[in-house]
Amino acid sequence: MSQPIYDIKSLEHSYGDKTVVAIEQLSVQPGSIVGVIGPNGSGKSSLLRLLGLIEKPSRGTIFFNGRVVEPFSDEARFLITLLPQEPFLMKRSVFNNVSYGLKLRGNGQDVAARVDQALALVGLPSKDFARRPWYALSGGEAQRVALAARLALKPRVLLLDEPTASVDAASAQLIREASLRARRQWGATLIVASHDWQWLYEICDEILHIFRGKIFGSGRETIIFGPWQQFATGKWGKVLSDGQQLLVPAPPGQNAAAVIDGLSASDDGSTVSGDTVVLNGIVSRLSLERKTGQLFATILVGDLPFTVGLPLKQGRADNIFPGEKIFLRYRHDQIKWL
Amino acid sequence: MDFILEGFIQALNLLVGGNPETYSAIWATVKVSSYSIAASLIIGIPLGFCLGYFDFTGKKPLRTVVDTLMALPTVFIGLLIYALLTHRGPLGNLGLLFTLPGIAAGQTILALPIVIGLSATAVESMDQKLRITIMSMGANRRQLFISSLWETRHGILAGAIAAYGRVMTEVGISMMVGGNIKWHTRTITTAIALETNKGQFGMGVALGLVLLGIAFCVNLTLSLLRRRY
Repeated sequence: MSQPIYDIKSLEHSYGDKTVVAIEQLSVQPGSIVGVIGPNGSGKSSLLRLLGLIEKPSRGTIFFNGRVVEPFSDEARFLITLLPQEPFLMKRSVFNNVSYGLKLRGNGQDVAARVDQALALVGLPSKDFARRPWYALSGGEAQRVALAARLALKPRVLLLDEPTASVDAASAQLIREASLRARRQWGATLIVASHDWQWLYEICDEILHIFRGKIFGSGRETIIFGPWQQFATGKWGKVLSDGQQLLVPAPPGQNAAAVIDGLSASDDGSTVSGDTVVLNGIVSRLSLERKTGQLFATILVGDLPFTVGLPLKQGRADNIFPGEKIFLRYRHDQIKWL
Repeated sequence: MDFILEGFIQALNLLVGGNPETYSAIWATVKVSSYSIAASLIIGIPLGFCLGYFDFTGKKPLRTVVDTLMALPTVFIGLLIYALLTHRGPLGNLGLLFTLPGIAAGQTILALPIVIGLSATAVESMDQKLRITIMSMGANRRQLFISSLWETRHGILAGAIAAYGRVMTEVGISMMVGGNIKWHTRTITTAIALETNKGQFGMGVALGLVLLGIAFCVNLTLSLLRRRY
């Protein structure tokens, strides 16, 4: 295995007394695609800002290509770029926005050609868009121009913070294709924070599940938030919108978040032991993880989505298709509290 | 009403006929206001940027002081500068009392809080995403500063226009520090005050029209620049 492009040790970042990122160790291989998933406010954007050297961590060290880096580090500032979630352009023309980073690097000679190429990558013809001012673009076009400004730099690391969250379907497709071309064409490392699990499962070599600033899994876990209640039977849990009871071991606090890892799904609804909980759900979405060939099913129990990984063969054998009824099964010892 | 109409006619005659006394006051005003606005922008924009951009202990009280100074009475600044520049004052040996540079110094003090305050406001209202964008493109500290300044140019320009308006129309400093000396330190505003006292409405109106004309030209130029950049 080659030297990691990123190596993070005991990283911690806080705003006031609120810790938003706390990662003990993380390595990212060069040329890989890493997905970061987690609910809103879980620390995805903060992590990307730290990796993008926009903010200095409160504690800990980020190694980039084996060297300690921080904001404005000469070793890294021309190699890493971050595309923030909301499209933001500077008050200048599309051409000047896209060429801005090239000019910072002193690449004065082939600027026009590189701007044309970058705009073409995101599906914006230079002759129609280059002269437009920043305010004469739609949200999707602005986000594509912002991505073109990053792609023009041919960065070693492209950090994408929910790049398709605020754009239409057509723009989202162009942004996805253009991002992947960065890896294909010049071997860029991509780190993508997104709620689009399906896309991440398709493209990523590794997925990090982040919650309250901590990485706790690979994205196949289901997080369930409190509040929890104690039923008359003495058991803890919550009543789902369809009336089923989601039972858990006694929580550390009424609003604690539970993680269920290793859920199983089948068309068999019989209970095996007293410690096993069986829930009745409906398959709402299927995704294929290309790297492992495994299926990921999103199963709705009431309104609550659960993620289950299962081999492709089992998916076929058990007729697991969207709309089909299915039984979810977990044991109490599969629940961890965050 | 007739005397106002007569004043306007007399004003046009003075301006078209190139009356030397009128043009002396116009020239003094343009010169002194250019000095003071240039000095206040050079000093005020970086200070305003720092005040708006950085977080430091005592920022809020300092901001309150700057905002208060934006309403400084011109006669008070005139008094202060007079006291400093008079031959008994600590800066008396500079010989700036009753000179255009003396007035310019006073007007710089008048304009400075406006430039600092409004630049700071422009920078404070700067979108946080701008900083992320500039840094993510690989800017170093100097490039971040220059690019951020450029992006807030419209707000800073509004501050400069407000400061220029205040400097152009003030009377107190020009009167007290300049002494309203004919052919020498008489500015448009002090001339208007004097001529009105003498009942010479014509020259007063003429100078008032010129003042409006200068303000219009400055705003038109800045508006064109703003549209272009």
